[in-house]
Parts: sequence; C-alpha cells; structure tokens
Amino acid sequence: MIQQIKYKSHSALDAMGKKKSFYIWITCLLSMILLCGFALLASFVTSLEILEFSIKIPWAGMISTYVFLVAAGSGLCIINALGAVFGMHRYEILGKRIAFLSLTLIVFGMLCIVLHLGHPERMPIYNAISPNFRSAISWMGALYSGYLLFVGLELYLLIRPDLFKRSLASTGRIRTILTLLTLEKFKNSVLVKLLENPGFHKVIGTLAFLAGISALSMLGSVFAHSESRTLWYGPYYPAYFIVSAIFCGYAFLIIMTIISHKTGDDPMPAQVMSLIFEMAQVLALLLAVGLLFITCRITLGLFNPLQQGPLLLLLKGPFMVGFWGFEIFLMSILPVFFLLWGAQRKSLPSVFAGCIMVLTGAFVMRYLFVVAGQIFPNISKDLPTYLPTLMEIFVLLGVFATFLLVYTMGEKVLALKETSSSSLPEKSNDLIEEHIIKSGVVNERL
Amino acid sequence: MKKKSFINRRQFIKAMAGLSIAPAIGLTSAAGADINQFGKLADTFTCIGCKRCMSACKRWNSLKVERNELVSDKNTDLSGNNWVVVNLRSDKKNKTQRNYMHWACQHCQEPACAGVCPVSAIKKLDSGPVVINEKKCIGCRYCYQACPFKVPRFDFEKRVTRKCTLCYNRFPLNYKKPACVAACPVGALAFGYRHEIIREAKKRLHDLKKPGYIMGIEEAGGTAMITLLPARPENMGLIQAPKKIINQDLDKIRITSGGFMGASIIAYAMYLYSGIIINPDKENNDSTN
Ligand code: SF4
Ligand code: SF4
Ligand code: SF4
Repeated sequence: MIQQIKYKSHSALDAMGKKKSFYIWITCLLSMILLCGFALLASFVTSLEILEFSIKIPWAGMISTYVFLVAAGSGLCIINALGAVFGMHRYEILGKRIAFLSLTLIVFGMLCIVLHLGHPERMPIYNAISPNFRSAISWMGALYSGYLLFVGLELYLLIRPDLFKRSLASTGRIRTILTLLTLEKFKNSVLVKLLENPGFHKVIGTLAFLAGISALSMLGSVFAHSESRTLWYGPYYPAYFIVSAIFCGYAFLIIMTIISHKTGDDPMPAQVMSLIFEMAQVLALLLAVGLLFITCRITLGLFNPLQQGPLLLLLKGPFMVGFWGFEIFLMSILPVFFLLWGAQRKSLPSVFAGCIMVLTGAFVMRYLFVVAGQIFPNISKDLPTYLPTLMEIFVLLGVFATFLLVYTMGEKVLALKETSSSSLPEKSNDLIEEHIIKSGVVNERL
Repeated sequence: MKKKSFINRRQFIKAMAGLSIAPAIGLTSAAGADINQFGKLADTFTCIGCKRCMSACKRWNSLKVERNELVSDKNTDLSGNNWVVVNLRSDKKNKTQRNYMHWACQHCQEPACAGVCPVSAIKKLDSGPVVINEKKCIGCRYCYQACPFKVPRFDFEKRVTRKCTLCYNRFPLNYKKPACVAACPVGALAFGYRHEIIREAKKRLHDLKKPGYIMGIEEAGGTAMITLLPARPENMGLIQAPKKIINQDLDKIRITSGGFMGASIIAYAMYLYSGIIINPDKENNDSTN
C-alpha cells in the first residue's frame, strides 16, 4: 500500500544521477569553493590583510556582498508575505522556494560578515552578554536572528506534509528520521495541533514578514546612522533598501524558478508560468520606482554641500562607469524593456535576461554604495581608492558557489520544484489524512 | 623649554587610579562631571616634528614599528600600530605656514564610536579617555565608520580595532602623564584637567600673537584632545568634524523611523495590490471548491 503513494524521488543522489551538465555545474562550484578555501587558509596563515587590505576603506567586497545577499533574502520575505499574509494564494505555490531561497541568501550573507569580522567567535557571546542598544548592528543582528527563526519555522511547516508523505513511503532508518522530523509520534499533542493549525501558519508568516522588513530597514540604518559618512547618512537609505531589496528578491526568485524548471524534464506548470510573467511586470514597476528614488536622491544631494563630494564621485568620478553603466542603465533602464516585452510576449528568456541584468547591476550598485560611501570625509589630496584583491574575489566567488551548491542540493532534497498539484500546506495535510484513511495505511501501521 | 603641568601628582593618581580597573569590572560611564575630566594639549606651533611621542607611544603600548613611520618628516597615517602620528602640513591659504600636526584619537566628550559598537567594547571613562576593550572587540570596524575623525584603525594581525587610550593604564602605576606627553622634549604636549587645558591653549595662542585656531572645544561636541593650529583643521589637511555632537541617539531614532515609515508604506502598497488582484484568487478558489 505504501508503495502506491507515488511522488517524485527527491534524494540528493537521484538528483546527481542523470545529467552530465549537472556534474559540470557541481564541479565548477566545487572548484570555486576550493579557491575560496585556499584564500581563507592563506589569510589565516599570513594576515587578514590579503582579503580586505584597506585600512581606510575597511568595508569592501565582503560587506557589499553581504548587503547584496541579505537584502535580496529580505526582499523575498516581503514577496512571501503576499501569499502568506496578504492572501494572494497563487504566490503560495512558490512558498517553499521563497522561504528556502530567503533563508539561504541570508545565511550566506551572514557568512560574508563572519569572514569579514576580525573575531567572529566573540560575536554571539558579547552580543548576548553586552549588546549595545544604541547600535544599529545590534538591532539588525537580533532582528535577522528572529527572521531566520520564523522563516525556518515557516519552511518547516511548508515541507512537513511532504516529509510526511516520504516517511510513509520509506522504510528503516530513513523512516525513523522522517517520522521524528514530522513529529508524527506526538500527533495528538498540543504542539502538533498548533503546527497544523492554518491560523498558526499565518501568524508565523506575519511574524517573519515583520521581522524581515524591520531587519531590512535596520540594515539600511547601519549605514544611514553614520553621520560622518555623508553619502550614507539620512533616512533615504533605510527606505531605498526596502524597494531595492524587493526588486532583487523578485529577480532572484524568477531566475531560480526558471532555472529549476528549465533544467528538469517536466514542463513548467501554467500557474507558475503566469506568475512569473506577473512578477516580471511588478519587477519592472519596482525598477521604475527605484529609478525615481535614485533621481530624487541625486537631485536633492547635489544641493547639499556635504553630499556633493561623494555624489560627484559617482556621477563623474572614479565610479562613473559603475554608476551610469551598471546602476542606471543595466539595473534600472534596460531590464524594464526586457521584462515588459517578455511578459507581453510570454518569453521566458527575455524575462530571465532582464532579471540577470537587474542582479548584475544591483551587485555593482551595492559595491558602489559601500565603497564610495567611505571615500569622504578625508583629506582632499589624499582620497583613498579601492579595487578588490584576487584573494577577495576568490572568497566572494566561493561564497556565491557555496550558496548555489546548497541551493541546488536543497532544491532537490526539499523538492522545491513546483508541480501543477502543489497546494496549500493546510490542504496538503488534509489530503494526506484523507489518503492515509483511504489507503488503510493507518491500520497497517497500527 | 618645558611647559608646566596642570595638576599635581596626587590629584592625578587619585583621579586615574580607578580607570584601569573600571573597564575590567564594567563600572564605566559616559561623560559626567566635565570638571573632573582630563584632556591633552597638542601645540602645533611648538612641535618640532621629532616624533618622540610616536616612539614613546609605541614603547608603552608595545606597538610594532611598521615601516619608516618614525623617520622625521615621513608622512604617515594612523593604523593599528600607529596610535599617534606627526605629519608636516602647510596651511592651504598660506603655504609658508608649515606646522607639525600631532594627530591621535580626540577622546570625544560624546564619542560616536562608543554609540555604535555592537558589543559595547568602547567606553568613555569618567575621567575622559575613550577606551576600546580589545578582548571584546569583534573587529567589525563600525566605530571607524562612525568616528568623525576616522581614528580607530583595524589591526590585521590582532584582528581588532585599536587606537590611543590616553594612557589610562599608566596612572595606577604612578606615572604622571601619558607616555607621549612625558616624551615631548619641547612641551608641545601637555596634560591636565580639560578646562585647564583649554585655558592653557587660549593663553598660548594669545601669547603667540598670531592667528590660530583651537580645535576640540566644539568639534564633535567637544573633545578631550585640544589642538592648537595655525588655521582651521581643513586648511591644515586634517578632517574637519562638525561643531556638534554627532550620531545622537535621537537622530538615529529619526533615521530609523524614516525606514520604518518606508516599510509601512510598502506594506500598505502590498495590501492594496493584493486587494486589487485578490479577486481572481478568490474566484479561482471558489470555482475549484
Ligand atoms: S575621535 Fe573617534 S575614536 Fe576617538 S573618541 Fe572620538 S569618535 Fe571615538
Ligand atoms: S571594531 Fe571593535 S570596537 Fe569597533 S565597533 Fe566593532 S566591535 Fe566595537
Ligand atoms: S596618550 Fe598614550 S596611547 Fe595616546 S598617543 Fe599618547 S602615548 Fe599613545
């Protein structure tokens, strides 16, 4: 009877099976991770200086990557709320993917911070013993910890029905583990009843949304509180971070969903396809809003003598190519056409290309924001400059590669790929119950 | 010519004795009674650029000599091993006016660095020094970003951020002055109560009968380090800090509220968006049920 319950095999080994391209992909990722390991080892043996060498621009590649990843992860939390909090049920089909992608993006963003810190091991200790409530970093850490907890719980609630199905289909130790994970033994306990309550899902979704959006705005505040860094200072960035995070979140989500379905054998479900085109349109709108933010910022900033210096660095100084070429053209203008055209003509490649442009531009945008922000205040004839070292690039590539590796594995193990039968968690529970009763599995087990 | 010291040995030891113990037992607090706070004077008119202060600082704090920073007239920058630097700078508006700039942590009355350190590793001691607890520092370098003078620098070997401590750890050992002040052969540096140091700076400037500028009275809300300059700091190639307390808590709250307001607007926009688009969802659900 148990064997009658059919669903796709989700083991990592299965995933690794068939395709040559999959092996090539994994090999590329592993080689990048090796290079990163080499750079990290070298930094331990010699000095941290080989990673981020500048004393005057101490926040560089690692911090910009942190901002890029974490902001995109938080943006996904906001997108997730459309389904989980605001009742747009069609977004729920992507629920598992959004939660897992958000979780991994933030965890790997945090990894960048760990690699950047001089003494990361002290962070949890002293953050707990002597937090500084006047410091935005302290608040950001606390809020992101809360967010990870809630989004982790949300992911668990989303995959629990699937784990349950798998536990029914498996035997031996795997079954024991899966049974433990699903808390099947405590079926009648208050805790499990709570976990199965749709209202609880909504509460967790709402808490994740609140923690995520507050953490994101606090991430903006980390920079915006520094009064002496005139490019960062002020309420603009905490607000802009939210808009830019949402568009990065959308871009990541669309890219990952397209890759996931294009690399598999099954066609993309129509529901997912139409959602992608809808998201592409929202993304185009957000890019336009983002461009409006940038324009206001530049215009108002140029009238402020304190902000002119750093802004001119972007407009016609050493960061000019990055600003005009990447932040404005590649991130804010060009993709709007690709996305709208793609959405209208139902062209996935066009939408995909648009999203890649957004992410490339956004990465450069974060880098410019972090690095250019530190040039002033300084002695004018001695302005510092920064270009990442080879070792720093190795480490950053390694972080991206590990993220992609974990995501690829997670995609397979957690069966994130949407199928046309993907349904709401609470409905899944009901279906499983129904199935078990019909198939007599319960009796068999008893 | 040695200039006089402004406090007697007994007063000094009494006031400073608790300082080294204070951070260890956590009994520290922000600027309280200004009258009991110490300050350091750097008179750039008197300084001869011998860099003895730099080497004394290195000796006392066991800091490494990095390159050729102790060679006279070699321009050098603050770092994890250079807690004080002496650089020859000329006035932008009057190139003939060249003075040696003694530059170290300004020991702000309201230190921005302490306000942002996420693990509370930085404290302003009651007597004036702003001290980083290097055993606690996680090396995030946020203090550097917040400091209006860009002073705390990361030490890549020790993996923590370091800076001048105003030699708070000399006092329990009965030393009368910070190492740099004690080493200065011409009295360009002086140490005493802050209000006396300010008075002394004004007196020196008055006696010079030259135009000059006293930095530290109002910069960043006032600092324990008082520097006598021939011109405004920005003209002497120093970072100009605003004449107000920076990174105030209320200002931080204002900025963060701006972010939260943005977040609320986004949430409301999402609510509206879902409200407009939700109907097809409902219809779909209804039709499937
Ligand atoms: S000068 Fe900078 S490091 Fe020194 S106390 Fe002031 S804010 Fe802190
Ligand atoms: S670098 Fe050290 S002292 Fe500076 S803010 Fe970070 S933890 Fe605090
Ligand atoms: S006061 Fe002490 S720590 Fe500071 S510069 Fe002078 S010798 Fe160095």
